[in-house]
Formats: sequence, structure tokens, C-alpha cells
Amino acid sequence: MKMRLLGASLLILAGCGGGTSAGGGKTILRVAYEREIDVLNPFTSQNLADIGYTMIEGLVTTDEHNRYIPVLAKTIPTKENGLVRAAAKGTVEVTWPLQDSVRWHDGVPFTSKDVCFTWKFVTSPNSETYNREQYLNIKDCRTPDDHTVVFVWDGEYAFYDGLFEAILPEHILGKLSTEEIVKYEPYNRGPKTIGTGPFRFAEWKSGEYIRLVRNDRYWRGRGFPKIDEIVWAFIPDANTRLNALKSGQYHYGRIQPNQVKDVADLKDYQTHLVSSNSVMHLDVSKRTAHGALVLGDLHVRQAIFRAIDRQAIADQLMEGTVKLANSPINPTSPYHKADLAQPGVDTVQAKHLLDDAGWVMGSDGLRHKGADRLSFMISNRAGAADRIAVAQVIQAQLKAIGVEVTFETLESAAWTTKWRSGQWEAVVSAWFLPADPSLTGLYACDGANNMTGFCDPELDVFLKRSDRTLDPVARKRDLDQAQERLVATARTLPLYYNVIPEVVSTRIGNYRGSGTNFGSFWNVFDWTLAR
Amino acid sequence: MGRYLRRRLLQLVPLLFGISIVIFGVIQAAPGGPEGSLLAAGRLVDPSVIESYRHRLGVDQPVYRQYLNWLGASVKGDLGLSFSTSRPVSSMITERLPATLELMGVAFVFAALVALPFGLFSALRRYSLADVLGTGASFLGVAMPVFWFGLLLQLIFAVRLSWLPVAGTGTVGASSLGDHLLHLILPGLVLSTRYIAGWSRYFRSSLIGVSGAGFVRTARAKGLTESRVVGVHTVRNALVPVISVMALNIADLFSGAVITETVFAWPGIGRLFVQAMFARDYPLLMGILLMGAATVILFNLVADLLYGALDPRIRYE
Repeated sequence: MKMRLLGASLLILAGCGGGTSAGGGKTILRVAYEREIDVLNPFTSQNLADIGYTMIEGLVTTDEHNRYIPVLAKTIPTKENGLVRAAAKGTVEVTWPLQDSVRWHDGVPFTSKDVCFTWKFVTSPNSETYNREQYLNIKDCRTPDDHTVVFVWDGEYAFYDGLFEAILPEHILGKLSTEEIVKYEPYNRGPKTIGTGPFRFAEWKSGEYIRLVRNDRYWRGRGFPKIDEIVWAFIPDANTRLNALKSGQYHYGRIQPNQVKDVADLKDYQTHLVSSNSVMHLDVSKRTAHGALVLGDLHVRQAIFRAIDRQAIADQLMEGTVKLANSPINPTSPYHKADLAQPGVDTVQAKHLLDDAGWVMGSDGLRHKGADRLSFMISNRAGAADRIAVAQVIQAQLKAIGVEVTFETLESAAWTTKWRSGQWEAVVSAWFLPADPSLTGLYACDGANNMTGFCDPELDVFLKRSDRTLDPVARKRDLDQAQERLVATARTLPLYYNVIPEVVSTRIGNYRGSGTNFGSFWNVFDWTLAR
Repeated sequence: MGRYLRRRLLQLVPLLFGISIVIFGVIQAAPGGPEGSLLAAGRLVDPSVIESYRHRLGVDQPVYRQYLNWLGASVKGDLGLSFSTSRPVSSMITERLPATLELMGVAFVFAALVALPFGLFSALRRYSLADVLGTGASFLGVAMPVFWFGLLLQLIFAVRLSWLPVAGTGTVGASSLGDHLLHLILPGLVLSTRYIAGWSRYFRSSLIGVSGAGFVRTARAKGLTESRVVGVHTVRNALVPVISVMALNIADLFSGAVITETVFAWPGIGRLFVQAMFARDYPLLMGILLMGAATVILFNLVADLLYGALDPRIRYE
């Protein structure tokens, strides 16, 4: 009885003070968001994603099938529809027809000049846009009229249709230098953060939430969006976020794969395991002298990969929430090679390979070659519990074939510095690839993010050719061969495709989760929230 | 007294200067740099972008020059721009300070209201069952990990009973004073538990020590009532060491409670510090740590001054 009274008085306390009623009749989507973002500029932010794309639209986005679909563009240019065509001196002209009657949140019409302005900003040297180099192959941007923009590329590039994920407003930022835009607080933090999207900026309470309100002039028509407000509450602690969802106080939130069982029976919610465009993998490097001695040998790498039971990692460690990976390219991509076979678990064969490579089993249970011990170190990122757990399983499994695995654990920033320096031997890692993946940066000899010291000229041919074609069949052929080559040379061992467990209230309608860099809010204009 | 105060305040300058060198050195000695945040989301970043970012932030310069740049600006009152948000550090600290002051203030007042009477009761009823249970509870309060206790309270009061909110400072779109107070209960309780446990033990020990002193015996011999002996002679003297501990804890008001604010998504200085640390946001880290250091020094001074107010034998020279 006393407990009931206490509960009742707390409820009364919640109501006192003369505040507004629960949203004043508005539909408010409450998101338990996993991080506080840095800035609202979609090109300079390191972690904006969902919140940004809800306000700021680009020429394209990706749907739940990992396909690019037009947003501010009426259609995606292709050779077939005649909007991609060869021009003088080997250049390629790509014509993007833009949506009519689109207005920025402040009422100013959106035009092709905004698109060219965005291109100028991104390609300027200090724009700090993470994939700036991909835009550098565009040599000119033309605006034949307000609703058409033409990019002149210096050749054929396969990823031409995945850029311009956001467009910046020229009338707000046009008078500023690139350096000024990067630091421009009214755009970085509101109130001048304007886009063309279904929601517009209302409020950012530092450390607490960002509130967006309905854009009543949204170009898709008066019926969109179907929700009045979105509140992105920053709840970075994974356990608190789980509790917040379980308490029923939020409609949407992402949780960790190992928390999925905790919400299995959560009433009024569904948990969607969204396949992410990121693959957990074991990377090895031969940039250090010891790394070269041990991991520079193909037989040793093959033996190590054969001794790792990936299925056990996916099924037992990750509790069956993830899918076994066979390639760095996600299965939802048309360029994924479904029949690519990674070596199966075979410890007998692994031992033979090590014997053949001259690594002899010693009395200490480890293999030796002369004075050298068959040992390598995995550099772990502190706090990345899933990756550390995977590394521990690998350590245990490799011990069975006489390979010693040691660990070093580095805080995130320190890990990044070490990874960039190339002075590591192995990492359990995952990169977030765009919907149309280019593997060149990661695996080509001169790949900007190839920190492994491995160089395979044969692989380079496939990778670079696949980047420079607009023929999907030819691109598929090259990427298939590239994926096969990665297996043959045992450069990297894909473990499993990451999933993003998203807990979604059953009150939300039209949710279609997407695991790309655009995230699951790509169609938030169409979401409904039952009262 | 005035001279003493002036001298102590003047000592603050070289002390803070020394602290700033130590803090800057420690921050720089940590491996990694602010560019780590570019890759934290798992995106592949062009190396030229990383170099451009480091250049803009000035972290490609020698450490001593970075320090001198920071020092030159901060003596003019400019703590610089945050690496991750490009906003003035002073603004970022100022906007987070009220949330921390409120949470810590509530926890402090509540803890004092509970700990002091409880300490007094324990001392007066020494070795009684209530005292033994209270001692056990205090040890539990000190020993319980804050994050675990916070999550436990969330599970009970927010998930199971649905009485209280899990996190934040209010329900956006349905905010009211009552709603805000409800949000304050769990983090306030978690924070105050630690102080209640510590302060009540200090007070109990101090009271027991003072109650055996000669002047207390004399007071009783004079025929004063027990309430006067305890209230005027014992409690007042026993408060001196407790005040010193409380004054040092008051510095927490400004530096925030890192774990509690993180667990309850409370938008205070503690959480800002965690964000700054992971992003290697050097100017923001410097700003927060220096503010914390300055408040510790200032409240040490306040504690020293309070000694004099409570104990007339203490004089300042």
C-alpha cells in the first residue's frame, strides 16, 4: 500500500509545475541515441549521420536493400538513361536532373547552384571532408538551369552515383571561406543549420538532446512528414540506453548485439538485426620486422586462417546474431561474390602448412624456427568489447596449432595512431564501407588505408579497373576476381557481418532499417507514430 | 586575516601555472591524437584530410609551442576553441556547469542532512545495533561501484516500477518542474550515497574523539545539560575535520561526477570531460582540468578559513 502511495505521489510530482502536457497533442518520436554529435555540418562532422540526414538531404540516399535511390535528384544518371555520356578528351559528363519546387527550410528555393557550391566546398583543400579525394575527379560543375546540374569527370568512375550525400545552402554559407565554414557556429550548431529535409532544426541542448520539428513546406507534399517532432536524446552508455528502452520511455534505440536477448520479450517493441555495411575481420601486417618474419609467409597466414573457427565465433560468441562473412563486401551489395569460399576450419591441414613452412613444435607447446617463436600480437582497441572477445577466441584457437597470440590494449585514439603508423602485427577491426564499395583504398598497393605492407600487383589491376568503369557487368567481374585474390593471398580473414540491433516501438510505422552510412532514418519522412 | 587571504590568493597564480604545465604534459604524453576521432566511426578517411585536420588544430607543432600558444591566449582569458566542435571552450564549460552544480548541490545538501544526524546518532549510541548496521551500510555505500548502483536503481525504479525516468534532466515536450525533480532523484541518490557513507563515518569518529576531551568533561562537571554539552561543546569541535573533508568534496561541484553523469546521461561537466578525453580535445580538457584544480585550491582556502570560525584558537598570520 505504502509503495503504491509512493508511486502515485511520484506520478503527481511529474505532473505538477504547470508544464505542457505530454507533447501537447503532438506526435514526438523519442530516440535514445548512442552519442552526442560534434557539429551539424554533414561534411565536417565525424558522427552526424542519422540526425543530419533527417534535416539535410543530398542528391541520393540508400534504401533498406543497400541501393542508391534519388532524393533531391529526380533520377540517378546512367549510361542507359542517357544522362552519363562520354565527352571531349576522355571526360565524362554526368547530368543530374533536380527535383522542382524544393525549398530550403528558410523558404529560399533550392537550385543547381547549391549543388555546385557544395562541390566547391568539399573539394577545397581545408574542407576536412572524409572522402574528399573521391570528389577530386570532378573537374567542373555546370548549371544549365536551376534544376539541372552537370558534373564533368576526368574519366569513368564507378562511385559517381554515391557522392553528394548532402547539399549545403549557398545563400547561408556562400560568402564564407572554407575555413570559416568549418568553424561557422550558427551552421554547425544551429540556428542557421538549414536543409531541405522533412525536419528542421529547433533546439540543441548541450549534452542532452537535439530537437527537430516538422518542415511544413516539405517538397514531397503536405502529407509528409507524418510525425511532428523528433527528439534525439544523447544516451551514450549502452546499459543505460537498454534500460531507457526497456522502461518504454523511448521509441527507438540501438543496442549491442550481446543485449539482444535482453529485449527478446520486450512488449510493444521489435528488435531488428539490421545488416551493417561493416565486416568484422582479422587483418595482419608485415610492416614490422617480426610481422614480416611470421605473417609475411603465405603458408603461415593460411594456417592461421584455417585454425580459426569463424562459425563458432558467429554462433557462440555473438550468440547467433551475426552472419558469417566470406568477403569484405556486404551480401546486400550487387558486387558481393556469394559463392566465394573462405578456407574451412582444418587444424590438421593448418599444422601441415606450418610444418612445411619450417615452424617446428617445441616442448613448450609453441612452434619455433631457429631462435624465433611463432608468435604475433593483436592490438586491441580498449572498450571495443566485441573485438576483444573475438581476439581472445582467436588466441585460444591458435594455441591449438602452436601459435602464440599476445595482446596489447590501446585506448581508441592511441589505437588509431598505431594503426596509421603501420607498426602493428594484427588487428580485429571493422570498417564501415559505402553502399557501392571500393576496396582499392584498403587493399591496393598504394591504397590510402592499406597499412599492412602487403602489395599484390595482380590484385591492383582488378581493383583499379573496377573503380574506373561504368559498366556494372565489367565491375562485377573485376570485383569478383579481387575478392578471390584476397582469399588466395590470405591477406585478411572476414569473420562476420556486423549487425546493428535496432529496438523499434511497434507504434512506429514504415520503418525500413538500413545498415549503410545513411542509416535507418533514410525514409523518416514516411514514418508514422501511432498515438 | 586580510593579509593572509591576499597571500593565499597570490599563491594561486604560480600554483595554477605549475598545474597547467603538468596537465598539458600528461595530456600530450598520452598516446594518440585528436585525429583518432576522425576514424572512430569506422569510416575510411583520406590521409590528406587527417593531415589538414591536424594542421588546423595546431597539433602538428612542437609541444612547447602548443603550450605557449595556449598559455598566451589563456592569460588573456581565452581558453581556445574545442577541437571537436570549434566552439569556445569557456562557452562549453559554462553551459554544462549549471547541470553539474544542480546535481552535485542536491546530492550535497541531501547527504549533509542525512550524514550529520546519522553520524551523531551513531556516536551517541555507540556499538548499538543501529550503529553496527549503520557502519555496515556505510561500508557498503563506499564500496558499491557507482555505475552498478546507478544501473540497479534504474532497473528497479524505472524499468520494473515505472516510477522514475531512466536518464536526462527532463521529458522534452512534457517538461515541468515536477518532471525535472523526478529526473534528479536517481542520480542525486547515487551521488549522495557516497558522501553520506563517508561523512557520517568521519563525523562519528570525530565526535567520539572529542567527547573524551578534557573540556567536555569540564562542561559536564559544570552541570551543563547533556544536550548543551553535545550541541555546543562536542558537535562544534567535532565538525572541524568534517568541514575540511566536505570543503574538499565541494570542489566536485564544479568538476562533476564522471560516472554518475554518464550513467544517467546528465549533461554536466563530468560527461563533457569524458567526451573531451576520448576525442583528445586538448583545449577542452585543459579548461575543465584547470577549473577543477582552481576550485580544489579555492575550497581548501575556504576550509582553512572555516577552521578559524569554528575554532577560535586558530589564528591566521
